[in-house]
Amino acid sequence: MAEKPTPAAAPTQCVGPTFRSVADKPTATVSHEVPFENVCVLPQTPQLIALLSMIRNKDTERADFIFYSNRIIRLLVEEGLNHLPVIEKTITTPVGRTYNGLGFQGKICGVSIMRAGEAMEQGLRDCCRSVRIGKILIQRDEDTAQPKLFYDKLPEDIAKRWVLLLDPMFATGGSATMAVEVLKSRGVPEDRILFLNLIASPEGITTFATKFPRLKVVTAFIDEGLDEKNYIVPGLGDFGDRFYTI
Amino acid sequence: MSQLESHVTVQKRAYYSPPWADVSIIAIAGSSGSGKSTLSQTIVKKLNLPWVDSFYKTLTPAQSKLAFANEYDFDSPDAIDFDALISSLRDLKAGKRAEIPVYSFAHHARLDRTTSIYSPHVLVLEGIFALYDPRVRELCDMGIYCEADADTCLSRRIVRDVRERGRDVEGCIKQWFAFVKPNFEKYVEPQRKVADIIVPRGIENRVALDMVTQFIEKKLFEKSTHHREALARLEIKGKEEPLSDRVVVMSEGPQIKFMNTILQDIDTSAEDFIFYFDRLAALIIEQALNNVHFEETTIETPPGYKYNGLRPKGEVSAVIVLRGGSAFEPALRKTIPDCRTGRLLIQSSYATGEPELHYLRLPEDIHKHESVLLLDTQMASGGAALMAVQVLVDHGVALERIVLATYSAGKVGLHRLMTVFPEITAVVCNLLPHAEQRWVEKRYFRC
Repeated sequence: MAEKPTPAAAPTQCVGPTFRSVADKPTATVSHEVPFENVCVLPQTPQLIALLSMIRNKDTERADFIFYSNRIIRLLVEEGLNHLPVIEKTITTPVGRTYNGLGFQGKICGVSIMRAGEAMEQGLRDCCRSVRIGKILIQRDEDTAQPKLFYDKLPEDIAKRWVLLLDPMFATGGSATMAVEVLKSRGVPEDRILFLNLIASPEGITTFATKFPRLKVVTAFIDEGLDEKNYIVPGLGDFGDRFYTI
Repeated sequence: MSQLESHVTVQKRAYYSPPWADVSIIAIAGSSGSGKSTLSQTIVKKLNLPWVDSFYKTLTPAQSKLAFANEYDFDSPDAIDFDALISSLRDLKAGKRAEIPVYSFAHHARLDRTTSIYSPHVLVLEGIFALYDPRVRELCDMGIYCEADADTCLSRRIVRDVRERGRDVEGCIKQWFAFVKPNFEKYVEPQRKVADIIVPRGIENRVALDMVTQFIEKKLFEKSTHHREALARLEIKGKEEPLSDRVVVMSEGPQIKFMNTILQDIDTSAEDFIFYFDRLAALIIEQALNNVHFEETTIETPPGYKYNGLRPKGEVSAVIVLRGGSAFEPALRKTIPDCRTGRLLIQSSYATGEPELHYLRLPEDIHKHESVLLLDTQMASGGAALMAVQVLVDHGVALERIVLATYSAGKVGLHRLMTVFPEITAVVCNLLPHAEQRWVEKRYFRC
């Protein structure tokens, strides 16, 4: 188990297109950088920062929260799919040109960690029309304070598929760890799991890099750290509540 | 001063002159009932040109009373708002949009609405005093004076005023002898001397009509030739220099390459094509939005922590170049559901390849929008894109606020566009070494 990293000062930098001079670009807090090869953070574009600002803001209404988080989820899914294996494919275009393109190999499925992860299913379906989606329910056991598996329903042939594991907030990674273990117990190799989340903590990222070094984590932003209640700082509050009930 | 400045800009950079930048104005003057309206409407119909005749001044209540009693002198130059006319003509001559007042003869007043005229290549100005003001004559390319026998004029006038303008016969005759005839001798007839052509017998005069139409057709052809030559010159200039850093080519990750493979494969089903185009278009629009302007904002998260983020600086609107650009609309609506959207239709002439502006509707306050996304699926020679950007410029949109987003672009065309308008940003998914004909819209709309 890695040592708990001390929350570093939030990295601030100016963001915007390269052709614009530094003076012309606004500055914002950007994602922490981490030295792990299995972690992929979305490019810190001004648009992404603006979308994150919307969903982090406590004054954002639920309809806007849903809309803007969906836009980020869509970008996460698009990036996640980049990590699937490809084969070369040459085709002829309608104007008769030859194009050396790519085709995808292998089948995929989504697995959402209930309930917040289910909020990411629409974004996945927007990119992959008839994708199979399994579900896992993990809750904190009141007696042991440890996460406990309550329910799962996964595709029969999941061992033969690439799995996109969905959970928007990656804090301590307790339930995500359990979900990965469930997937592994069903025969999914670690290196065929992609864990997609919107906001991650350095603690969660470090835990995964140590425990599951071959599993790919795709995130939009790595925050400063966790507070005493294990909330991500600055985070965005409880994603499931903001998406479903508040 | 402003003229001097614009001259300096011309010297500094490659300059695109749209075919409407130097509109040819044909003025048709002549006595009331001399057949000038019929002549100009025949020309307008034959060549599909806009025409202008509504620059009467709005009357004061006292004048209005006189007018309803047929005692107001409409046939004097004083009734015409020459200043407004000249400023509109000058705007059009400079390639800008002009608002033309709409005059109601039934109410003797200007209506609240205006007709906007933009981008005509040739304009027909018709009115009894079309050649009266020397400032107007200076702007005209051709002055025509219609002449007809006074009896003919009077009878035509009575028929027209009673049928079309709701007057009675007695009123018309009263107006004729009180105003029309004396004014004719005093103001209208002298225009005969300054006209280039005098057309007797109005519409019956087929020879004159053919002559005028031929002159205009020749003008249009010259303009088209100049326009195409100018486009070709800019193309050569564009080949000599490296591509601007304001061209953002989307990095071709495996997913984008995969989608491109499906989209470009001639054997892809229509259903798949539309799905993958929408998916890729959403990414192109997200990428385009990275180039609009943002400002800093500090927000508070629900647990009470501060975050230094960004927000868009102002409204982002879109302008769709029809028909291709409308394939971006589903993706645009997914990204900015309430995005205000202007549309323009530019088509290349089948015979000459010259781009022509056919239709234009933009948000009124587009010049105030923080950023304007200009959307088209493909850019071949870039002629349509040049014209589209010029249209936005003519409507007051600053170049650095324009972000052009397109699925594919030929390198030469893109280069030419960036040479003429170096301050715009262009986001391109596929940068092609050679221009290719438009096929994306055909596949997307399936026709």
